[in-house]
Amino acid sequence: MASRVEILNEGGYRSDGRRQFELRTIDIDLSQQGHADGAAVITHGLAHVMVSVFGPREAKMRSQTIHDRANINVEVAVAAFSTGDRRKRSRGDKRILEFAATIKSTFEPVIQTSLYPRSQIDIFVQVIQQDGGLLQACINGTTLALMNAGIPMLDFVCAVNGGVHSTSPLLDLTLLEENDVPNLTIAVMPKTRKVSLVTMETRLHVDRFEEIFRLATEAGLAIHGEMKGAILGRSKSLMGSIELGSQQRSGNTAADAMDDDD
Amino acid sequence: MASTSISKAERSYIQAGILANPPSRADGRSLYDFRNIALETGVAPLANGSARLSIGRNPHDGSGGTEVLAAAKLEVENIGDGGEGVEGGRISCTVSCSPAAYPHLSSNALDDLQYDMTTILNETLTHRVLHPPNLGILRGKKAWVLHLDAVVLYDEGNVYDAVFMAARAALWDTKVPRTRSVEYQAKRKGGATKGNAEKEGGSGDMDVDEEVVSGFDTRQIQTATDFELPDYWDEGEPLGGRENWPVCVTLNIVQPSHFLDATQTEEAATPLRVLLMLAFDTPYPTSVLGMRTLGNGELTAAQIAELLKAGEKYAREIWTSLNAKLKEETMNRLKERSKF
Repeated sequence: MASRVEILNEGGYRSDGRRQFELRTIDIDLSQQGHADGAAVITHGLAHVMVSVFGPREAKMRSQTIHDRANINVEVAVAAFSTGDRRKRSRGDKRILEFAATIKSTFEPVIQTSLYPRSQIDIFVQVIQQDGGLLQACINGTTLALMNAGIPMLDFVCAVNGGVHSTSPLLDLTLLEENDVPNLTIAVMPKTRKVSLVTMETRLHVDRFEEIFRLATEAGLAIHGEMKGAILGRSKSLMGSIELGSQQRSGNTAADAMDDDD
Repeated sequence: MASTSISKAERSYIQAGILANPPSRADGRSLYDFRNIALETGVAPLANGSARLSIGRNPHDGSGGTEVLAAAKLEVENIGDGGEGVEGGRISCTVSCSPAAYPHLSSNALDDLQYDMTTILNETLTHRVLHPPNLGILRGKKAWVLHLDAVVLYDEGNVYDAVFMAARAALWDTKVPRTRSVEYQAKRKGGATKGNAEKEGGSGDMDVDEEVVSGFDTRQIQTATDFELPDYWDEGEPLGGRENWPVCVTLNIVQPSHFLDATQTEEAATPLRVLLMLAFDTPYPTSVLGMRTLGNGELTAAQIAELLKAGEKYAREIWTSLNAKLKEETMNRLKERSKF
């Protein structure tokens, strides 16, 4: 038998050189993209997701409007080259629809939809590259894009996945680990410490669940720090340019006043 | 393409600006100026070749602009018995549009648009004059299929030029893994024991003393049944004929004048667009690989000849600068690799 990749070696390192509870690097870009009201590009290690938010706006189909709150519409598109073996998934694919429904139900309790009756908020998720933690990247990206679009929310939603290799819990799994290890994804609201999503498609022993759940909640708080930093940075740069603009304007009016004096 | 709807007044304002003397456009460009184009190759590590291209992206904060991601992926296909493979390999191109690029289109309209773009790209790039020579693996048995997927992430106008440039860059970047054919031979002397002999490049390495082969027999019988990759870590050789992939130039026509690189609002104000797919110096000075009109205006034959002449000039400029950029990218990657 050829050498097999060890999930966790004796020195306590994982296949990509991380420790057990170490998260992958997170990279967040909140700059304006296209016509989107809010956009976010987020990478967790090699997983790369782009989220654009449009709205609140009039629904494309009248039948989709709800009389007392906004309707949230999530569409997920996966690039054919995002995985190791090329696979073209159409928009009607059951797996993708379910994935979109998961994202929608995660955000429904968090977005203050009752402020925008009879309107629609569109969330378009484009998966560019996959390497484990797809749902987590999509949820974190969506949180950031919604905030970037200025949609009122009760709290951040920070998602992270985790798994258990024999008895040792691991956080933020890559694709290799995800295929080998029972894993779950949870989404935390850091302020209230409420959990808005727990999903698991594999089997995990009940005794192990509590530990990984607690650890993942803590990791969610760590991710919250990163996301908050990015949002604050973006807001600061926006405020900076607003101030610059107003200074220039007042400078101009002062110059005009001087001209009038002459 | 009615992706943006603008008012009659706005339409006539834009058209009047283009026909004015001197012509004026909203962003201050002249009629034949392009916005900034940014290109990066090798962006998708899981693909055999990839490129990301943006037109009109703000260089300071990285915002706005048309953005296209293209990636080429190779797969092995069986030829015959149920396999879809074609002798010498095949290419298939797909364009998909993110709903974020066209936020006001319904999903059916988006599908139609994707289909239109796919047809144009696929028909141009899969023509047999462009077919790369090194997509075959085993004659009559196995061949590569090259899937070229382009994703339009955001559209701020001039999406066809962007798609074709990204496609050319991704195909330029594509590396085909080297393969070696393997054949299995039964050992005749040793009785029932079976051994396998490896054949390099299909040339014979057999024990000649067993079977008398006629010297007049010049047929090359391919006996190889399978292939292997000699070096897993090697990226392979570039796709053959990579200089030939065409570029596209879109001429937006407001009679009697035309302009290049329209923004989305300008596109909405243009009744007719002509796409020209051109390649240069391979082997003819200029070859026209495709031509399309989009929209509902009309053109006379004389005008088409004139537009073709003008389009050739613009396309050559795109061609030259794209080639320069691609060569630079290749050099940079070589430098990166030689660091280790």
